[in-house]
Amino acid sequence: MRPSLRTHGAVALTAVAVLALSACGAGSKTTSATATQVTCDVPKPSSPTTVNVLAYNSSAIDPFTNTMVSSCSKNDYTLKHEPIDFPGQVQKTTATLAGASGTYDIVETYGFVIPQYGSQSKLAPLDDLYAKHADAYKLNDISKDMRAAMTYDGKLYALPMQAQMYIMAYRKDVFDQVGLKPPTTFEELKSAAKTIQDKAGIKYPIALPWLATADIVTSYDCILGSLGTNLTNFDTKTANFDKPQAKQALEEMLALKPYMDPQVTTFAQPAVQQQMYNGTAAIAIMFSGRMNDLTLEKNSKFSKNFAFAPPPKVAADSPKLYDTLSVDGWSIPNNTALDKDALFQMIASSVSVDASKASLPAAYPARTGMVSDSSSPYAAAANVSITSAPPAEPYPWTADVSNKITPIIANVVLGKTSADEGVTQMQQAATAAIAAAK
Amino acid sequence: MRKREYWALVAPSLVVMVSLLAIPLYRTIEWSLQRVNYGDPGTFIGLQNYTTALSDARFQRAVVFTVGLTLVVTAILLVLGYLLATAVNRLRRMRPLVLGLLLLAYVIPGLVGATMFSWLFDSNFGGPVNYFIAQLTGQDLLWFTDTWPNRVVLVLNIVWFLLPFAMLVILAGLQSVNPEVLEAAKIDGAGPFRLHWNVIIPSVRGVIGFVILISLMDVVRIFDPLVALSPQAAAIGNESIMFYIYSVAFKDGGQQLGLGSAINVLLIIIIGILLIPSIRATAREGSR
Amino acid sequence: MMSAATPELTSRRIAAVEAAPRKRRITGTSVLVGGFLLLTCLAMLSPIIWTAASVTKPTDVAFLNPPVFVWQPTFDTFVDLWQTTNFYQYVINTLVVAVISTVLALVLGLPAAYALSRAPGWISTVLLVVALVFRALPRFAVVLPMYDIARSVGLYDTTFALALALVAINQPFTIWLLRNFFADIPDTLDEAAMMDGCTRFQVLRRVMIPLMGPGILTAGIFVFLFAFQEYLTATILTDVNARTVPVFIATQLGQTLPMLQQAGAAAVLFTIPAIAFAFIAQKYIVAGLNAGSVKG
Repeated sequence: MRPSLRTHGAVALTAVAVLALSACGAGSKTTSATATQVTCDVPKPSSPTTVNVLAYNSSAIDPFTNTMVSSCSKNDYTLKHEPIDFPGQVQKTTATLAGASGTYDIVETYGFVIPQYGSQSKLAPLDDLYAKHADAYKLNDISKDMRAAMTYDGKLYALPMQAQMYIMAYRKDVFDQVGLKPPTTFEELKSAAKTIQDKAGIKYPIALPWLATADIVTSYDCILGSLGTNLTNFDTKTANFDKPQAKQALEEMLALKPYMDPQVTTFAQPAVQQQMYNGTAAIAIMFSGRMNDLTLEKNSKFSKNFAFAPPPKVAADSPKLYDTLSVDGWSIPNNTALDKDALFQMIASSVSVDASKASLPAAYPARTGMVSDSSSPYAAAANVSITSAPPAEPYPWTADVSNKITPIIANVVLGKTSADEGVTQMQQAATAAIAAAK
Repeated sequence: MRKREYWALVAPSLVVMVSLLAIPLYRTIEWSLQRVNYGDPGTFIGLQNYTTALSDARFQRAVVFTVGLTLVVTAILLVLGYLLATAVNRLRRMRPLVLGLLLLAYVIPGLVGATMFSWLFDSNFGGPVNYFIAQLTGQDLLWFTDTWPNRVVLVLNIVWFLLPFAMLVILAGLQSVNPEVLEAAKIDGAGPFRLHWNVIIPSVRGVIGFVILISLMDVVRIFDPLVALSPQAAAIGNESIMFYIYSVAFKDGGQQLGLGSAINVLLIIIIGILLIPSIRATAREGSR
Repeated sequence: MMSAATPELTSRRIAAVEAAPRKRRITGTSVLVGGFLLLTCLAMLSPIIWTAASVTKPTDVAFLNPPVFVWQPTFDTFVDLWQTTNFYQYVINTLVVAVISTVLALVLGLPAAYALSRAPGWISTVLLVVALVFRALPRFAVVLPMYDIARSVGLYDTTFALALALVAINQPFTIWLLRNFFADIPDTLDEAAMMDGCTRFQVLRRVMIPLMGPGILTAGIFVFLFAFQEYLTATILTDVNARTVPVFIATQLGQTLPMLQQAGAAAVLFTIPAIAFAFIAQKYIVAGLNAGSVKG
């Protein structure tokens, strides 16, 4: 027995040695690819401190995250960021904000969640810190509208880094082949899809993120918004699902379904991207932060064939585009143990002029005057999209209403519930959610 | 052995198990009677969580699905495990190689294996299974959107990683079959089916019982594979009880911790019911 | 003092699997059986083979639909995984947790298993039944309170807390397994040693443990394996500092290229130790499974 124990011991030791040697190089390129070195002069802390940053990976968010991590990790501060997908960020945000102490000191947030976390006092209001550092970091050049999108009840809860709006990406080569122009209404979208089905042999030309447990409600909300209706009415504190537009929006979704992959209710944005990479879809409408990936040669052999346009309207007379505007920013949890002033300076550095410039073409920075039509392949589309998006609904119950109607919308799209029954259920669920909100 | 020595030897382990298993279990029971969140003291609400859980359609679906899944997987494991063990039993030189190849599925972490499995079936990400099925039959199965195809994938994955275990255990049993009895049966003219059904299987009853025990115990608590293979589990009715508990008691920051704890307790009861025969057998064996 | 036959007993359990069956000719049945085994092996290996293929493909064809079956192999994904993520740290975390678990589990489990095997009274029966009950518990019933306690005590997101949790969770199995191994060693040895003046502890240390070499190795391998495989407990009890490889892979399932391919590379890298277990440690795993199931 002893000899084989010795052999096993030797094997184990070799393995450990190999691991130790190969530690060099581990994580060495973490931030270099999309990071910029910017000024980050945070005063030295009293003892070596680790700052944990929570932010999901996407080509639009990564430049800001990586810039912050690489520029501010000095002077006894170490910033740590682990790669995580978007559902993971959502779950960890809830978990870290839930208790009296949390794991993360800086969290990525977006307009949709600001009202709910603001009203629950989970995020630190940044107004005082903003006033203190505005001149040093030129914060007043950050778009006023975007700052307003991150404000709730008069207090600023996040520092905006970028805006994301819906962009329509399409295969220019396929469009040219069958003689199409980018559609401007849902009718045109459907007829373009039919033409592509018949003449270009792509079975399911349209790709939208309709994940049944999350994204599908965003799509519904955009259709409703394009038709000029909000989910709820703030003044009367009622839900709008008894209006005809609510049912019409569901019907529009059902009308698009035949042109989309039957598994679409399992697709979040990465899966939609994959459809475009594969060439199994020719038209996709999703957030601008996912557009840059499509142009990277590494990801797809069709990377040179994508063109971008603003999303279509639902109908020719619709007041707005099928669109939404989401502002992404950095927030500081109330339950962090670290010095909030230092944390604020870190997030301010990551949205500095240099950092924002460097985030192009992947992101649409929140600083005014950064994006001209030639800044990125989709910049022209973004500039149009951003002006014609439906307004946001920064009410304390919006997140809860959205979560409650999501499974109902999914059931209608999957054919398990009729549209009539669907809107009735949505009205009930939304009314209850509004009543329950403080 | 003297009492003092006995307890001194057993104590360290017992202390760890009591403090890290029994006390948290007690806490779960406590929580099941409260409306509570992590870090809160919690307010007592009696059996309300239990009535909520038992009347919740989602919970009922989860129970039906989980128990059904457990029984199906156990049956498949027994049949396939027996066939495979019989086949491997005939090998001599090739046995370590074949065993090694088969053991891989058992040794890989459940989640990692399920992730690899999901890529086999995900047509959007180039899954070859879909590709071949489409080539052969022209059918397009929606493995992640439709309920029954998804159930097939789940059963396949769970059988995949439990089969090596079932096979090995039955193999060990096969090797302790009395060769003289086998010879006698063959001389009496028993064909292969008779041989297995009437002679071999009864004599490996013990290991078959063990496979049933472990399979019941583990599959009813299934969690890891659903993370990778059935993210839409609730929507298509393929949610296991553990997955439901995770959703309710942890994912949203513990908003419904009391309800989740009640479901934990109910699951313990379900497991207890499934295991009653095995507990009796253990008690008998322990006193040998 | 020691009979020459007894060191054979525990080794015999391990060697049992390698017993040779009778001689046979190549028959139709052999071909059928061989074919069945070949198909089964291929089917069982297919997920691993396909993922290994996907991660050696260039990124733009890795997950292409329809799938490609001929490609230019490249190891870029592994390099990217290593250099652009903290994968190295996750591997270290997983190893640390596994090693601590194994050592602690054995230190706690050996004395207890010895006692249980030498004192078959009703107390032992009760403890064995209790161990079975604990082993059958749904993990959340135990891990969620551990999460709460770990957070309030400040041990949340540490490898030590995770290791300790796994020791407790796997303790019933460890004791069960070791007890069955101890039961193979006749207690005449104990009596002989005690007649020579050893206390029970000394018997354990000086007589039993040397004889139990293979048994200890088997139990250690199993505890190591369970720690290495753990996802549920790890995902609840860790966050940034103690993240293990399965938890990392789970956080990458919703990523897009190229990170998704890197998750596949992580999965393949994690299969390598699995291969070591399946082949090098094979006879211990087999012996362990048998020890839990076969009587004597």
